[in-house]
Amino acid sequence: MTRQHAIDAALAHFDDPEGFFADLRARVAVPTESQNAARLPDCYAYLEEEMRGAFEALGYACHVYDNPHAGCGPVLLAHRDEGADLTVLGYGHGDTVLGQEGQWKDNLDPWRLTKIGDKVYGRGTADNKAQHSTHLAALRAVLDTRGNLGFNHKFIIETGEENGSKGLKDLVALHKDAFAADCYFASDGPRFDVAKPNLTLGNRGAFNFDLVLDLRDGGHHSGNWGGLLANPGIILASALATVIDVKGRILVPALLPPPITDKVKALLGDVTRETSTGGPAIDDDWGEPGLTRAEKVYAWNTFEILAMKTGNPDNPVHAIPPRAVAHCQLRFVVGTDWQNIVPNLQAHLDAAGFGIVKVRPSTGGNAAFFHAARTDPDHPWAEWVRAAIERSTGEKCRMVPNSGGSICNDVFQDVLGIPFVWLPLSYTGCSQHAPNEHILWSLTREGMELVTGVYWDLGDPKTAYRMERNAA
Amino acid sequence: MTRQAVIESLEQYFDDGGFWTDLSRRVAIKSCSQDEPFRPELYRYLKDEMTPYLADLGFVSEIFENPKPGGQPILVARRQEDDDLPTLMTYGHGDVVRGYDEQWRDGIGPWEMKKEGERWYGRGTADNKGQHTINLAALKACMDARGGKLGYNVVALIETGEETGSPGLREFCRDHKDLFKADVFIASDGPRLNALRPTVYFGSRGVFNFTMLLDLRDGGHHSGNWGGLLANPGVILAHAISTIVDAKGKILLDDLKPEPISNSVREALSKLTVGGMEGDPEIDPDWGEPGLTAEEKVFGWNTFEILAFKTGNPDNPVNAVPPKAFAKCHMRFVAGFDPAVVLPAVRKHLDALGYDNVTLTPDREFMAATRLEPDTPWAKWAISSLTRTAGEEPAVLPNLGGSLPNDCFAHILGLPTIWVPHSYPACSQHAPNEHILEPVSRSALRLMGGLFWDLGERDGLPLQ
Repeated sequence: MTRQHAIDAALAHFDDPEGFFADLRARVAVPTESQNAARLPDCYAYLEEEMRGAFEALGYACHVYDNPHAGCGPVLLAHRDEGADLTVLGYGHGDTVLGQEGQWKDNLDPWRLTKIGDKVYGRGTADNKAQHSTHLAALRAVLDTRGNLGFNHKFIIETGEENGSKGLKDLVALHKDAFAADCYFASDGPRFDVAKPNLTLGNRGAFNFDLVLDLRDGGHHSGNWGGLLANPGIILASALATVIDVKGRILVPALLPPPITDKVKALLGDVTRETSTGGPAIDDDWGEPGLTRAEKVYAWNTFEILAMKTGNPDNPVHAIPPRAVAHCQLRFVVGTDWQNIVPNLQAHLDAAGFGIVKVRPSTGGNAAFFHAARTDPDHPWAEWVRAAIERSTGEKCRMVPNSGGSICNDVFQDVLGIPFVWLPLSYTGCSQHAPNEHILWSLTREGMELVTGVYWDLGDPKTAYRMERNAA
Repeated sequence: MTRQAVIESLEQYFDDGGFWTDLSRRVAIKSCSQDEPFRPELYRYLKDEMTPYLADLGFVSEIFENPKPGGQPILVARRQEDDDLPTLMTYGHGDVVRGYDEQWRDGIGPWEMKKEGERWYGRGTADNKGQHTINLAALKACMDARGGKLGYNVVALIETGEETGSPGLREFCRDHKDLFKADVFIASDGPRLNALRPTVYFGSRGVFNFTMLLDLRDGGHHSGNWGGLLANPGVILAHAISTIVDAKGKILLDDLKPEPISNSVREALSKLTVGGMEGDPEIDPDWGEPGLTAEEKVFGWNTFEILAFKTGNPDNPVNAVPPKAFAKCHMRFVAGFDPAVVLPAVRKHLDALGYDNVTLTPDREFMAATRLEPDTPWAKWAISSLTRTAGEEPAVLPNLGGSLPNDCFAHILGLPTIWVPHSYPACSQHAPNEHILEPVSRSALRLMGGLFWDLGERDGLPLQ
């Protein structure tokens, strides 16, 4: 049996309407919103009813850990021990962002998998259910073809990623031996170029915080009081204008990263970000001046107003609103002073005369704090995965020093101390985190080929990853 | 009979329960103009309540359909004593806002007037049934005192759409100018400067609402994958706003500011103090146009507000670059300022700064600003009458900070407009627990008795 046999088996499963599509349909149907506390039972159901059976069928032993943070989603660890020298760790997340029901085109139901042309819609399709489903199907194809994997494999499915992966780091630290591995390979997020695969070696961090201006209780008649009472919406607009300029450039030096290194610049030299079909048009005059598109999103920090509100926007009344709040976010690369975002921004606002605007970490479902992390691009594990992909595609696979988005790489970097490499299977136009989230069916099929090839090669003595190379 | 006797008879009307009887009967009519099912109540208020009462006073009433589709009926009543006499125009609105029945304190409700201490609770007590009930009672008292004569003609307009923005009122006044030939306009609505202080105002600030919208693309996009590549509409709109009004509320566009405050307005305002009463919010002294007093800011200047702003999903933020942002903008402006300049001026300003993708849309027709200068003859006449009754000069507002359809009377009909408000700032107008205060209502009856008596004394009237 050969690599191609395994890939063919994987594709046969993919093309069978009762195969991959049916599996994904069942998984999308579980409304695993981790930003909604009422969905915690669904997160358990996802692990116990969808994941456990799938892994156990492949000979994995499964354990579902309660999250050490009360109210946060459980974590499944699946382990297949073949007594091999190498242990590889995989990862996926079973939770999704909010469904945003009613906001989808043609009133599509986010929890019902719907294929329209090459697009398959559903909440969690791109992020991340189709991606870990691809890994599961690829593992099955390799096992069916070869009878074993040829390496030990552990797989984490967490259910709190969209809520900041709260508790995951503590859990892994608490059970370090159970989660220990030599290297890490998983899929999440989009490739930067819909036409070509790429590897991602890290991630930007993300920290969500609110700028709050709470002036008084209740609104006051704008005729009787207009001119006498400060308007919090106006003040907050001016305060924000001192933090980020009208072209998206961050104006507070403490929120910026150190200069981009030559090595990162070189890797990003052959990374382009083009507007994809269905994707948004890129605003080239937005962001830090002088950077390429790739540098802006993969090597620099960005400040966003995720949401902002004052008054009653859907039903405005003639009153001076009492309060304004901007829900903001900093995405940041390795090297940023992330520990001090709140005090540094507060100090800036104080100095700019906006001391009444208070910076606070976001709370509830919007709380998020991901560390930035990055595997050294020269690490042999990165080189090995790249070679495995190139065996499938026959051409050079590009590496991005880190993704624009955020994920829990710090768990692998800081707690487990292992190199991590991601093969993203989605594309940037997938409307992840928004209504109309979807995957491209053709792209997912290609991902199935690539992932199967990687798992095959890992267990094939001719191509296997040799730890001693790492030691050297 | 004398002026003093008229005032005493109105005190008697209050003390004997006549005012309670008239007002509680009117409050019991659920004439809410904001909810279609209550529409028959609007007609009932005009036909079964106003028309017979006015007929007893010698008025001939006619109920007109609103010229605007969906608009509410308007009653016009005329009492013609003699064609050679001067004519008073008066106004009231018989409609009220929604009852919000379930939100009132225990034991009180919108449609049955209840007394607790000095407070009379009920929907419309303050806005506006209590006020026009006082004025009509004062007319009646004057007539009784003069042997069935007032000494002037009266035309009364009672609309029933004020709480929905007085739709059709302008068209109606324009189309029926002949019905409203008069020498002076005197009516009551809104609050006194404070409960203790008799107040007169001569117009109102105007109001103009518009939306600033920046719609960059369809749908949100993941802030990690796209952050740095996609312009954030919230950021851009915040900047755009900050170029129109600064962080201290100062309007930055000269075109949005009024003419300098006249000396007579400045002098009138110097005698007032706004705020400081129980329940009032704390005034921010650093807010607004620098160099103006608080009273000049609210009664003598324009204000630019963000009533509401939204980008993304503030109630449930997600990690996405939002596709659009909008701000509900709002200007209050004083007489002499033409609101038609606002959108072109803001447009030109935004274009010059590169904000050409921010769109501007008016939200509804503007309400014009009006004002009678406090040193003009009718203003002086009213101040003098009110001073004589109260024993002290009333608070004189060149205009109300809020807005009224007074442009119908001041601009379309060209009348000098005098407003004597009978409510007070904490009356919970437009909210649950609306009420009036007994001492304010009693004092208002006295003031209006004196004013309508003086109007019948031909001497000293500033007639053209």
